[in-house]
Amino acid sequence: MRTLLATGWARTLAGQLFAIAIALALGSVIILLIDESPVRVFVTLMRGAFGDSEKIAGTLLQTTPILICGIAACIGLRGGMFNVGIEGQLFLGGFAAAWVGFAFSLPPVLHVLAAMALAVVAGAAWVAIPAFFRVRFGTNEVVSTILANYIATLLTSYFTIFLFKRPGGWSETPPILESAYLPELFSFSRLNLGLLIGLALAIVTAAFFRWTSAGYAVTMVGSAPKFAEYGGIDVRRVGFGVLLVSGAVGGLAGGVETLGVHHRFMEGFAPGFGFDGLIAALLANGSPVGTIFTALFFGALRAGSLLLEVDTTASREIITVIQALIILAVSADLIMRRRGDRTGERRWKF
Amino acid sequence: MEVLGNLFNIALLVATIRTTTPILLVALGGSFTTKAGIFNIGLEGQMLIAAFFAVVGSIYTGSSLGGLLIGVSAALLFALIYAVLVVSFRANEVVVGLALNILAGGMTISLLKAIFGTRGSVVGRGIVGLPKVQIPGARDVMGSSAQLISGFTPLVYVAFLAVPLLILVYNRTQLGLYIRVVGEKPEAAEALGISIARIRYGASMLCGLFAGLAGAHMSLGYITMFTENMSSGRGFMAVAILIFSAGDPLKVLAGCLLFGFADAFSLRLQSFGFPSYLVLAVPYSVALVALFALSWRGRPKRLRETAETIRRALSVHPADAGRDAPASRS
Repeated sequence: MRTLLATGWARTLAGQLFAIAIALALGSVIILLIDESPVRVFVTLMRGAFGDSEKIAGTLLQTTPILICGIAACIGLRGGMFNVGIEGQLFLGGFAAAWVGFAFSLPPVLHVLAAMALAVVAGAAWVAIPAFFRVRFGTNEVVSTILANYIATLLTSYFTIFLFKRPGGWSETPPILESAYLPELFSFSRLNLGLLIGLALAIVTAAFFRWTSAGYAVTMVGSAPKFAEYGGIDVRRVGFGVLLVSGAVGGLAGGVETLGVHHRFMEGFAPGFGFDGLIAALLANGSPVGTIFTALFFGALRAGSLLLEVDTTASREIITVIQALIILAVSADLIMRRRGDRTGERRWKF
Repeated sequence: MEVLGNLFNIALLVATIRTTTPILLVALGGSFTTKAGIFNIGLEGQMLIAAFFAVVGSIYTGSSLGGLLIGVSAALLFALIYAVLVVSFRANEVVVGLALNILAGGMTISLLKAIFGTRGSVVGRGIVGLPKVQIPGARDVMGSSAQLISGFTPLVYVAFLAVPLLILVYNRTQLGLYIRVVGEKPEAAEALGISIARIRYGASMLCGLFAGLAGAHMSLGYITMFTENMSSGRGFMAVAILIFSAGDPLKVLAGCLLFGFADAFSLRLQSFGFPSYLVLAVPYSVALVALFALSWRGRPKRLRETAETIRRALSVHPADAGRDAPASRS
C-alpha cells in the first residue's frame, strides 16, 4: 500500500497477481490440511461462480455490495482514512432504507430515491462522530469505527426485533412496499439496478480523483498531508469530508442490498460485505476502477462458496481464508518491495 | 437484607474480576507492542486462534495444560507472521493486523467443520477446563468474601500479577528500557546500536504469548467451549485501552477493570429483563466513549507537554553542550 499512486498500474497489476498466486498456493496447503483436494475446491468455486447464466448472475449479485463498499473504502484510503466501519454503515443504511420502504407509501421512483437518501444520510451520520474526533483530536479512526460496527449491528438488531418486528416473522422487519423495489435486470435472477449504480459510482469516483482539483486535493491529503497543508488545503476539513462521503457510500450499499435483494431488513442481512469491500479496495490499491475487478473476483468467490458447502467437505469460510492470505501477500509487497528508512516510518501511522 | 446487599456486591466484584481477566491479559500483551512503537490491531485474531487451538489441544492431550500450550503456540505463530510482515517486510500494520483477524475468523470456522464436523460451536467432547485455585485458609480468614481472592483459574492470578511484573520490566530491566527506547525514539535506539527489528520481534512475540493466554482463558476458563468469533471484539477494546493508556500497565489495568465492570454489569442488567441487544452494546459503547473522551482530554495535554519539552531542550542545550560533547564521543 505504500506504493499507492507511486507506481504505474502495470507494475501494480503484476505485483497483485503475484500476490494472488502466492495466496492461492498457501490456501491450497490449508485445504490439503483439512483433507480436501485443492483442485476440487477451486473447480467447484469456478463452477459455482460461472457455471451457467444463473450462476453468473449470482456472482454479479454478490459483487454489487462488495463493489459499493469497495468504493467507500477507496474514497477513505485515497484521503488517508481507514474506514473500517463500512460494515456498520451498511447495516444502518440497510435498516434506514427498509424503514422508509415499509413505513411510508410514496410514488414508485420517489420512494426508491427517498429510501436511498435516508440510507446515505444514516451511513454518513454513523461515521460523523468518529470522523469528528479523528480530525479534531486525532482519535484513531480504525479502532473507533471497528467498535462502532459492533454497536451498529446490535442496534439494528434491536430496532428489528424489539421495535419493528414483522408479526409472526423471525427477526426481520415487515417487507418493503413494491414501490420501493429496485428494478431487476433479468427475469431469472434477483440481480438488480444496484450493480449499475455500483459501476456508475466507480466511474464517477475514478473521474473525480483523476480530473477534478478537489479529487487532487483529497489524494494529496492522503499521500502527503504536510505538503497539502503547506499548499493551503484545509487538511482537517478534507479528512472529515472524506470519511463522511465514505460512510455515505457505505450506507448506500446497505440501501441497495435492502431495496434490491432482500426487500426487508433482517438480522445479519449482509454478513461481511463491508470487510470484503475494504479488502477489494486494498487489493485494487485504492483504485476505483480496479475495485470493479477485485469486487468481481471476491463476488465470484462468495457465489462459488455456496456450491462449496454442497459439493465438497470444505466449509465456505475457506474463501475468507484465501481472501485474508491474498491481503497478507499483497501487504508484503513482494515484487515492489522498497527499502524504507531503517526506523521504519509508515504512512498510516496514527 | 444488609447481608444480601453485601453478597450482591461481592458477586458483582467477582464477576468483574472474571470478565476483566481475558481483556487484561490481551491488553498487557498489546502493551509490549505499543511500547515498542507498533500499532497492533491483530490482537483479536491472536486471541481467537488461541481460543480455538486451546480447545483442540485440550481434547487431544486430555489436559488443560496441553490445551493452554497448544493455544499459546497458535497465537505465537500468528504473532510471528505479524512480526515478519510488519517488521521485516515493512508492511502496513493496520492492513496486516486486519488481514490476520479475518484469517483467524475464517480458519477457525473452516477447521471447526473439518475437525468436529459442526458449525457454530464445540462443547463437551472431552474438553478439559482449567482448574480452580483454592487458596488454603482463605475461607477461614475472610469468610464469604474469600471468593474475591480464591477459587479463580490460574490465569486470573497470572493476569493481575503480570501488572506489577510489567511495571518492573519496563522500569528496571534492560529489555524494558530497550522496548521503550525503540518505541519512543527509534533514531536513538539506532544510535545506541540496539537492533530495532530484534526488539520489535521480541515485543510482538511477548504480545502473542499474552494474547494466547487470553484466548485460552476464554475457551478453557469459566466456560469450556469454542464458539465462532467468540472473542467478540475484546481484542479491539484492548486496542482502545492501549491507545489511551499508551501501554502503561497501571493505566491498562484501570481501563480493563472499567470494561470488565461494564461487561459484568451488562450481564446483570440482562437478567433484569433489559433488551439483550442494547445491553450487549454497553461494553462497546463504554470503550468508544472512553476513547473519545480521553483523546479529547489528552490532546491539549500532549501539546503542552511537547511545548514544554521543546522549551526545556532549548534552554538546557547551550549549558550542557560542552559537557555532553566529550561524553557522547566516548
